[in-house]
Formats: sequence, structure tokens, C-alpha cells
Amino acid sequence: MDGLFHPEVLTHEANVVRQRIVRTIFCLMCGAALGVSGALMQSVTRNPIADPSILGVNTGASLFVVCGIAFFNISSANEYIWLAIAGAILTSIFVFGIGSMGSGGATPLKLVLAGAATSAILSSLVVAVMIPRSNVMDQFRFWQVGSVGSGNWDSIATFVPFLIIGLLIAVFTGPGLNALALGDEVAKGLGVRTGTIRLVAALGAVLLCGAATALAGPIGFIGLLATHVIRLLIGPDLRYIIPMSALTGAIILTVSDVLGRLLGSPGELEVGIVTAFVGAPILILITMKAKMRAL
Amino acid sequence: MKPTHTFQAESITAGYDKKTILHDISIAIPSNKISIIIGANGCGKSTLLKTMARLIKPTSGQISLDGKPIHKIPPKHLARVLGLLPQSPIVPEGITVADLVGRGRFPHHTFMKGWSKKDYEAVAEAMDIMNITEFADRNIDELSGGQRQRVWIAMALAQQTDILFLDEPTTYLDITYQVEILDMLTDLNRKYGTTIVMVLHDINLSARYADHIFALNKGKLVAEGTPSEVITSSLIKDIFNLNCKVIEDPVSDSPSVVPIGRHHNKSISISENPVIV
Repeated sequence: MDGLFHPEVLTHEANVVRQRIVRTIFCLMCGAALGVSGALMQSVTRNPIADPSILGVNTGASLFVVCGIAFFNISSANEYIWLAIAGAILTSIFVFGIGSMGSGGATPLKLVLAGAATSAILSSLVVAVMIPRSNVMDQFRFWQVGSVGSGNWDSIATFVPFLIIGLLIAVFTGPGLNALALGDEVAKGLGVRTGTIRLVAALGAVLLCGAATALAGPIGFIGLLATHVIRLLIGPDLRYIIPMSALTGAIILTVSDVLGRLLGSPGELEVGIVTAFVGAPILILITMKAKMRAL
Repeated sequence: MKPTHTFQAESITAGYDKKTILHDISIAIPSNKISIIIGANGCGKSTLLKTMARLIKPTSGQISLDGKPIHKIPPKHLARVLGLLPQSPIVPEGITVADLVGRGRFPHHTFMKGWSKKDYEAVAEAMDIMNITEFADRNIDELSGGQRQRVWIAMALAQQTDILFLDEPTTYLDITYQVEILDMLTDLNRKYGTTIVMVLHDINLSARYADHIFALNKGKLVAEGTPSEVITSSLIKDIFNLNCKVIEDPVSDSPSVVPIGRHHNKSISISENPVIV
């Protein structure tokens, strides 16, 4: 512990402790961002399965990052973050555009299909850009799986403003999103500017998930898991769901990271793999439940 | 008593996409009264209500509250005077009665201000008026259709507006609950002077509960006035294409419509009604 407060101590243990602390803080921040991002996306779309990874938003961010690495020699967290956010915004517009086509608007099923299809296309583009460039592949591969181990004080510093802005947006749009949950007509009757609140909340969601993705790679299912656990426990009031899903997201991601290190020892299992293993079965359960309710 | 407001629609034309549904309608809502909009399916009665509640923007004409065009009033300010219960609101999964009713307080909140004593009082009062206080902590999913509708109306009441619009508040309910809801709305009007405007399907319940009726046909206002002035067999023939006899409601002063079909007619009532072939 001494190493923490005395930078002159350079023993191996001190370094390990320092690194672990950075990693834990980074984990907590990414988890909080992804948890809140999921809660916002679900409210904006009034769709229980909206999550950055399921809607393909993460893959969009990935494609932009890999293109940046491959074509523009980008390698710093600062530059990743803007590319990832741009990719996330464009992909969400694209996926919601496709998902809203046809009758019935953006139903859960149509959004998942649109997200999966978009994700598949974007993933193959990512591979197509990467394969002929072995140096890009090395740099990208680690990022791609989703690792919080790459976090350092610099990336934390880059992340903080995005996290704060995103969380503030979430807190301020909460009451309006609560009204929106009763349907657009009720919300308008209550004096909510439905278009504005959707746009602002969606922007918050994309900022949070884009920034987390840029720095830690695409980590899936946190938003989905956190909000559903919280909804079961405390009900559907967003004024409580938003802070609680930040907390739950942070805990889930940190625990997943520890789990990945334990299961993968002596090496480690990337946290993105762990969350996918936990998240996929939950997603299946929720989709089945959502479908039954719709029927 | 709630204050008096003038709420007017002046020659409004409105519809969805390129389809025009309302043609040049001008009405003034009688303040502190119950007004009911009647008409056949697809005549535009819901569209009229939605346009007046600024859910649909009219393509021409103007809607004003106390002389001010409603689109120039900030949405939250308007929502403190004018409340709306649409036809099919969404119930969030797992929501409790008190939470749902509390969401009606949205227009009274500002950015930084949390829930005040006034908010809790408004919610308690709304639940009391609709007689749902005992369900406060229950999940909406556990309630019957009639109870659920009372919760939605309580949500609109928690908004504490002087004017309340309701789009078919009794649809899908058993007759018992239709009467119960309309009685409660009448209580509300008599006790607080709340101006109520609603769309109703049932012509006889409309005639019974309305102070003022607006009759629509094919997107045009064809008659308005008290039920006794408006409900006549020729008007019913015009707007519903139904032959009928209008009699005095045996239990109230309002008119009552007795439909005439092709079967089960006493010969005497047919001879009285020359419209029948």
C-alpha cells in the first residue's frame, strides 16, 4: 500500500498495487458508463433489450477505430474517443432507421435483427480492413476483445469529462423519460418536448458508450444486465434506475474482470468475453419474456 | 372552484400525413362544463381532441387558450392548465399505482426542484377522488380494467389542470364501470368546476352525461348544443346512418336513442317512422 502514496517506492509489489488500482477505477467508470448508457437507450426506444452491443453501436465504434488505426495512424486515447463516438452515432442512426421501417415502428424484434445484421456487416468490414495489415491487427486485436487492463491514468483523464457529461444528461432527462415511458401522447400531454428529450438522452447514451468503447474495447451486455437487475429490484422509476444502474454496471464489470483473471490464470480472460458469457443467456430470457408480454 | 378559461378552435383543418380529416372546424369549449364529442367511427372526433390538445398540428386555423395561441405557450405551462388522457397509454412493466399517478406531476417540476409536499398532496388527493388509495402500492398489472382506468384518470388529475381532455375513457369497460367512471368525472366537474372535454362512443351515455354536445360528421361540425337540442332522430340518421326513435330518458331529463333495425319492430313503431323501407 505504501507504494500508492510514495511514488519513489519501485518494488514489484508496489507496481502491481498501483496497476490494480488504476484498473479497478477504470473498470468502475466503464461499467457505470455502460450501465447508464443501456438505461438511456432502453428508455429512448421504449425497448427492453436496447443495449449498445445488441444494437451494433459498439461494432460501429470499432470500425471507426480500426479505420483510424489503419489509415490515419491513430494511436492515442484522445483520438480513439472521437472516432468511436462518431462511429457510435452513425451506427445508432442507421440501426434505428432500418429497425423503424415497415409497420409497427421499432419493435424489439426488428431492432435486434437490424442490430445483428448491421453488426455482422460492420464486423466483416473490420476484418477486411485489418487482415492485410499485421501491425494494425496486433494493436487492434487486444482492443477488440474488450480489455480494461489497458487502462492507465491518461485514459481515465480522457474518459472523465465524457462520463460526467453523460451522467448529467442522464440525471436531467430522467423525469422526462419517466413521462415518455407512458407513451408519446401522455408525455406530450404532460408538457414533455418528446423529440428534444429523445435526442438529448440518445446523445448522452452514445457519448457514454462511445467513450467507454473507445478506451476499453467493445464490452457487451453490461447495460442490459445492469438495468434489468435494477428494474427487478426497485421498479421502473428512472430517477432511481439511472444512479443505480451506474452502480450496478460498475460492480458487474469489476466482478467480471476479477472473474476473468481468476478463470484465465496464469494469464487472463478478457472482460468482454466474460460479460458475453454471462449476458447472452440473460438476453435470451429477457427476449422470451418480452415476446410473451407482447403476445 | 377552478377559474374560467376560454378555449377556442378557429377554423382548424387537420389530419395525418396528406390525409385531411378535419375540415374547417370552429368550436368554443364551454368553461367549467362537461362537453362530449360524438360521431361515427372515422368522423374525426379523436383527431379533433388530439388537435386541441396539441398532439397534432393543424394545417390551418388556430387553437387558443385565453386568447393566446397554444403553440406559443411553453409546453409545461400549458400542461399546468390543460391535461390529457389519450386512448391507449402505455403501462411500464412493474409500475405501482402511486408511481404512475405521481408521473402526472411532471409539469409542476422544474430542473433542480425535487418532490415537494404539494406534490405528495396532489397525488394523495387524486387517488382519493378516484377511490384508488387502497391500491397505492399495488402493481398496475394486478388491477382490473375499471380500476386501471381510474388510475390513469388519477394520473391526469394529479396534474391539477383546470381543463381535462379524455379520449374514450370508457372504451373496453363493462357497463358498470362505464357508469362509474362517468359518475366520478361528473363529481369532479361539480365539485371543482373542472372543464371536461371527452370523446365517447356510447350515444346514450353521452346524452345523459354531457352539458354540451359537439356532433361531428365526416370531419365537419354538424351540430352543437345541449343534448336535448342536438340529439334528434334526423341527426342520428345523418351521422350514424341509423334509423331511431328519440324518447325521453326514463330516469333523467336527457334524450335517449332507441335504434330501429330491420327486425323485432312492433308494427306501430314502423308506421311512426316513415324512413324505413
